Amino acid sequence: MSYIEMKGISYKYPVGDGKVLKDVNLSLEKGKVYALIGANGSGKTTICNLIRGFIPHFFKGDLDGEMLIEGKDIREWEMGDLAQKMGYIFQNPFTQISGTKDTVFEEIAFGLENLRVEVPVIKERVTEIIKLFGLEPLQNKDPQQLSGGQRQRVSLASVMVMDPEILIIDEPTSQLDPQATEEVFKIINIMKQKGKTIILVEHKIELIAEYADWVILVEDGKVVMEGKTKDILSDIKTVNHGVMLPQYALLGYEMRKTGRLNEIPITESEAITVFNNWIVGKEE
Amino acid sequence: MKRGLKHDFSLIAIMLIPIGVGLNVVIAQLVQILRLPIWLDAIGTIVAGMIAGPWVGLVTGGATNLVKSIFTPTELPFAISSMAIGFTVGMLSKKGMFSNFGKTIGAGLIVTVIAVIISTPIIVWVYGGISGSSASAMTAVLLASGHRLVQAVITSMGLLELIDKTSSVIIAYLIVNKMSDRYLSKHNYAQSFIKSNKKSKAA
Amino acid sequence: MEKKNAVLSLYPTTKLLMILLFAISVFIIPNYLFGYAIFFVCLLIAAIGSVTKEFANLTIKGLFSLSVLIFVLQSFFYPGTHVLWEWSFLAITQEGVDFALGLTSKIIAVGSSLILFFRITPVKDFVYSLEVLGLSPKATYVVLSTLTIIPEMKKSSQIIMDAQKTRGVETEGSLMVRLKALLPMITPLVLSSVASTEERAMALEARGFTVNKRKTSIYSIEKTGRDSFIRVMLLVILILLIVWRVAL
Repeated sequence: MSYIEMKGISYKYPVGDGKVLKDVNLSLEKGKVYALIGANGSGKTTICNLIRGFIPHFFKGDLDGEMLIEGKDIREWEMGDLAQKMGYIFQNPFTQISGTKDTVFEEIAFGLENLRVEVPVIKERVTEIIKLFGLEPLQNKDPQQLSGGQRQRVSLASVMVMDPEILIIDEPTSQLDPQATEEVFKIINIMKQKGKTIILVEHKIELIAEYADWVILVEDGKVVMEGKTKDILSDIKTVNHGVMLPQYALLGYEMRKTGRLNEIPITESEAITVFNNWIVGKEE
Repeated sequence: MKRGLKHDFSLIAIMLIPIGVGLNVVIAQLVQILRLPIWLDAIGTIVAGMIAGPWVGLVTGGATNLVKSIFTPTELPFAISSMAIGFTVGMLSKKGMFSNFGKTIGAGLIVTVIAVIISTPIIVWVYGGISGSSASAMTAVLLASGHRLVQAVITSMGLLELIDKTSSVIIAYLIVNKMSDRYLSKHNYAQSFIKSNKKSKAA
Repeated sequence: MEKKNAVLSLYPTTKLLMILLFAISVFIIPNYLFGYAIFFVCLLIAAIGSVTKEFANLTIKGLFSLSVLIFVLQSFFYPGTHVLWEWSFLAITQEGVDFALGLTSKIIAVGSSLILFFRITPVKDFVYSLEVLGLSPKATYVVLSTLTIIPEMKKSSQIIMDAQKTRGVETEGSLMVRLKALLPMITPLVLSSVASTEERAMALEARGFTVNKRKTSIYSIEKTGRDSFIRVMLLVILILLIVWRVAL
């Protein structure tokens, strides 16, 4: 039994043209980082909404096929259990702050309050997560006064404090500057280390090369390619589906034209090794 | 559509209430900055009523005056008229009164009448006819020239309300029609604004 | 936040009962001097709560200007026969002055009580106390998030306004010019903020907002013995006022 499984999923929103997902089959394992890539409007966010149960609990429309979490159909899951099992980080840093709390500490506690966790336990867990994410300088600040990057880190903490097994992160950095992006990915890396199952939608392909274990390429509501990050992001066929390869991989392909290159690198560290070997090989 | 209050107050409809209040306040401010001779301080309530129905409209209207009264307590009594506006717009939306521009103008007139009917007794009973709004001066003039109080209040307010509420309703109608079908489909009372519905009806 | 202040540290519903008593009292004792006196009582409490400045500001801006307007207009236009002063077609009548005194004293008493309440009670504390009494967390959410959304929307309306100005939308000039600026300013504001409700709803859902009817709260405020004392005092005052009214 897979941890998360989609069998022949098709979905159509209540209004609008045609199916946004067409016969999607996916099987995800526990503890891995999955990256969903593809052009805008290809169906990545819809897949996220489906895994989280927003479809069909929140969005109506026509859903066909089976969406199973731990072997149980999504339609049979209670929203409360889903809230505990899965965390969800959205794109917009400005819509995720509850807007009802005076301090970052209280903001992070919000989810646990909703789950009726006892007050002393809440305080302990919030303090812990603040320490883990290095948010101490922000904890007494007004969440409304934070920058986009700070808000996004607080949103991550607010979700992580609920200790979900699965984390769905939908374009967390699309509205952030490079430094804030790096901060956010530091946190995502912490969660990866903690063994969380992460489903990540991200356009910055270099970051995916760095952090993802498995890449799922979506085009026009269909899964067109999937495989180990290294395999997908070093495969030139990927560019036919509206996605760019990492700079290092493109450079690798250029270099291959001029001589032999055993491996197409996708990350910086791989590139350094591969290109070094290449130079050494040429000199020999 | 008779599934009760719980159905009306879906989470996304509840989210619309703070946004509606915010729009009321911020647009009214914008209108002041532009130095326009109207208020337009109920567009948020009207939008909420149009797409989320009478009860959400009513709460948005009431909440607006509650929030305003934190700083301006004299706004509090008019919560009733704001609630009536939100409720009326919601009922009109349910009855399909915003399905085209012509009907919308009619709806604007109905909202005006309701606003005047509800505001007049408040102005007369709570403030003795003078509420400090831009209609007060005209009320005073009418009183001085021998009109009866209620008549003076209605006459002076009616004209201003007619311009204000009809244009608010029309503006809200134009903007709601620009919302995406996907978004509108999530609201219980927005059927008549969904473009694909309109097309299929025309076909 | 440490709250040692004798007024500020009272429990929100105690403060609410207090200002309700103030507001009701002017209808029990119709004398206008009593109504004006309530304002000074509020001022005194504001002073003890060290919020005099905010209280004074808001009463002057929101209440006094309106009261003066009402007073002047009612003195002149309220129908009456006992003329006190006359010039051309304008006449101040005794009836008008009496009516104006009665009306403005009530408006000032009720208005200043309300202003006082929100100066000495953080809205957060107020809704907390209502939630303890059984108010739905959804209602609490609406009230609190409204107060934080308004400043954010003001910011975005400023951004929209600047953006539209650079795109050539005129905001100065004749009435027609300014009217034309209206829709380009309002439309993006409404569309963007209304569209955000979907993600707001899902973000709340993701954090378990709709899971339970009741929630725990790491924020808490407690009633003290002083609250009970004040409540008893308020009740005594209410009875005394009624006795006074009946005896009058």
